[in-house]
Amino acid sequence: MIERDTVVRRLTTVFQQTFDDPSLELHDAMTAADVDDWDSLQHIVLVLAVEREFRIRLNPAEVGKLENVGRMIELLQAKAA
Amino acid sequence: MSLNARSGVAFEETLSRARTAVTGEDARAALAALFASVTPDSDFVDQARAARALKRIDVGALGLRPLRIALVAGSTLEHFAPVLRLWLARMGFGAEVVLTPFDTAVQSVLDPSSALRRSRPDIVWLFSTYRDLALEVHPGTGLAEVQRRVGDAIAARQALWTRLLDHLGCMVIDNLVDVPAEDPFGNLSGSAPWGLRAMLRRYNADLAAAAPSAVALFDLDHVASLWGRRRWEDARYWFHSKHAFALDATGSVAHAAARLIAGARGLAKKCLVLDLDNTLWGGVIGDDGLAGIALGHGEAGEAFVALHRFVKALRDRGVILAICSKNDRDTAMSVFREHPDSVLRLEDFAVFVANWRNKADNIREIAATLNIGLDSLVFVDDNPMERDIVRRHLPEVEVIDLPEDPSGYVAALARPRWFEAVAFSSEDRERGRHYADNAQRAAYREDFVDLGAYLRGLDMLGTLGGVDSFYRPRMAQLINKSNQFHLTGTRYSEAELTALAATPDCFVRHLRLADRFGDNGLISCVVLRRRERALHVDTWVMSCRVLGRTVEEFIANDMRAVALAQGCDRLVGRYVQSPKNGLVADLYERLGFARSAGSEAGSEWTFDLDAARSGWTSWVRDAANNEGLPR
Repeated sequence: MIERDTVVRRLTTVFQQTFDDPSLELHDAMTAADVDDWDSLQHIVLVLAVEREFRIRLNPAEVGKLENVGRMIELLQAKAA
Repeated sequence: MSLNARSGVAFEETLSRARTAVTGEDARAALAALFASVTPDSDFVDQARAARALKRIDVGALGLRPLRIALVAGSTLEHFAPVLRLWLARMGFGAEVVLTPFDTAVQSVLDPSSALRRSRPDIVWLFSTYRDLALEVHPGTGLAEVQRRVGDAIAARQALWTRLLDHLGCMVIDNLVDVPAEDPFGNLSGSAPWGLRAMLRRYNADLAAAAPSAVALFDLDHVASLWGRRRWEDARYWFHSKHAFALDATGSVAHAAARLIAGARGLAKKCLVLDLDNTLWGGVIGDDGLAGIALGHGEAGEAFVALHRFVKALRDRGVILAICSKNDRDTAMSVFREHPDSVLRLEDFAVFVANWRNKADNIREIAATLNIGLDSLVFVDDNPMERDIVRRHLPEVEVIDLPEDPSGYVAALARPRWFEAVAFSSEDRERGRHYADNAQRAAYREDFVDLGAYLRGLDMLGTLGGVDSFYRPRMAQLINKSNQFHLTGTRYSEAELTALAATPDCFVRHLRLADRFGDNGLISCVVLRRRERALHVDTWVMSCRVLGRTVEEFIANDMRAVALAQGCDRLVGRYVQSPKNGLVADLYERLGFARSAGSEAGSEWTFDLDAARSGWTSWVRDAANNEGLPR
């Protein structure tokens, strides 16, 4: 299992690049409502960027479950090597 | 544009350069940096980020051509639309992409107040996939039933096309559908008539035969096979969000479609400029001599023969060929005259430049000789230094990188798809010859000091006509491809031309021109509209090949004849400035029209028919009457 801090750092970069906002910071309770442009369309872009960064493939059910940042970090800690 | 995949770090660097450039308000540099950061093969994350970066660039400042496309699909294309816009920008379009839900397509077309009808698209793209067709039949179904099912599917497409063409009068694109990789019957699915693969192949072949020229077919199946059929469908995203193809294939689909659309709207490349030594043969002709160069039999020469065949095929479909080489001219020409294995012959080239000057200057001269814009040229050279010089000095020219190994030359030329066309007309077949004839005419012109004597000696014969099924495709092609001799920049599809011809007080004309050197084909189109006692020139395009031969005057006389027959007292012309049509900025002035309104960007010109008792002097004889030429 990789360090939570490492996941957060890498995930922050993914968020900043996907939403084109270098000042974006993550917190566990963060959801789509907290980020401009995080709609269902951009969610898929985000998921693909996460898959690329962490070299994993998520199944359709997992894609739907990633609605908040805390859950996303948990899942990535569990799945990423 | 290079097709090499870029690493993630390089992508970040170029993308941040693109961003800096936008804030510096240098939109052109921003766009160039953007396209240095992404290729059609880049994955979806990079495509999406580049598409987002494009939104920050002031597209209006680039002079990109406006284009409205409506996508009508039974699958999710929301992620595809911005990437399509990205690759259309690469081809010179400032596109607006609108999405229409598939289930509402027919209503959208019929209802004049629908979003689709109100958006007045230039192109409607029916983005169909094999899933939309539902062609599956029971195993063992007989051939007659299979044919009936496929026939029904085609008839449904035709009905949709007819509605779109009748009601929107725009260009229609439909897909040759993708054939899925996996199938429960495996091999049998392709070999038995009732197999899904066999039925989809039958559908694609029959659809191609059924499509009228106003409908362009996008070969989605070919894109799927080039991209990799096993990866083409990503079941996860079909189940999750109804994406019909893998998101990472988005760039490939958008790039191929943008190329096709560019071809349909007159922005495909027209001329291939080739180097000689180590490009069209191995070795250096000046050093190695005819017998010493690698061309023909043997492993070293075969690759060059294959390239010759590919280039010859491009020429036969209407691409103009030019040579630009550092060589002694006669020595270089001897290969095409005398080498037994040279597929390309001297007459295949419209321009042959072999000297020791720099290639940027030579290419500029080639464009000027052919009367085409620099952005219509594609340059191929094995020497990276020469490519770099041309890239630096002539950013408008597309430069193709060749690999070290000549076996890869054909693929390097084919992959960027610079010469896509939606159709092939007899004019395309003749084009190479037209340009070669022109070189002869230029040589003939040098013998004459008196221009009138030269023009009389050309023995030009003009044949006027309107919109008919035979000439309509070429008329639409000319209107949509012409940039330089195009007064108003209007674009009309075949369907729109047919509609215009049927409109009262509207006159659509074309002119074909022959002379003692050959047939120039259909070289001009005019759309005229009568409003009260004025005849307005809505559209006037002409091939630059025939410039300065009093063809303009001949056409003006035809406009005058139409105006007089309609009881008009004046001709009114308009000039709308574009980046390319400076050539005709003073056309109306030269023809004696008086400026009646306008600014730098556009002006209106009036010719008073009552005040002028006669028409214009032209050396073109009208095929319809036997009047002699002016003395």
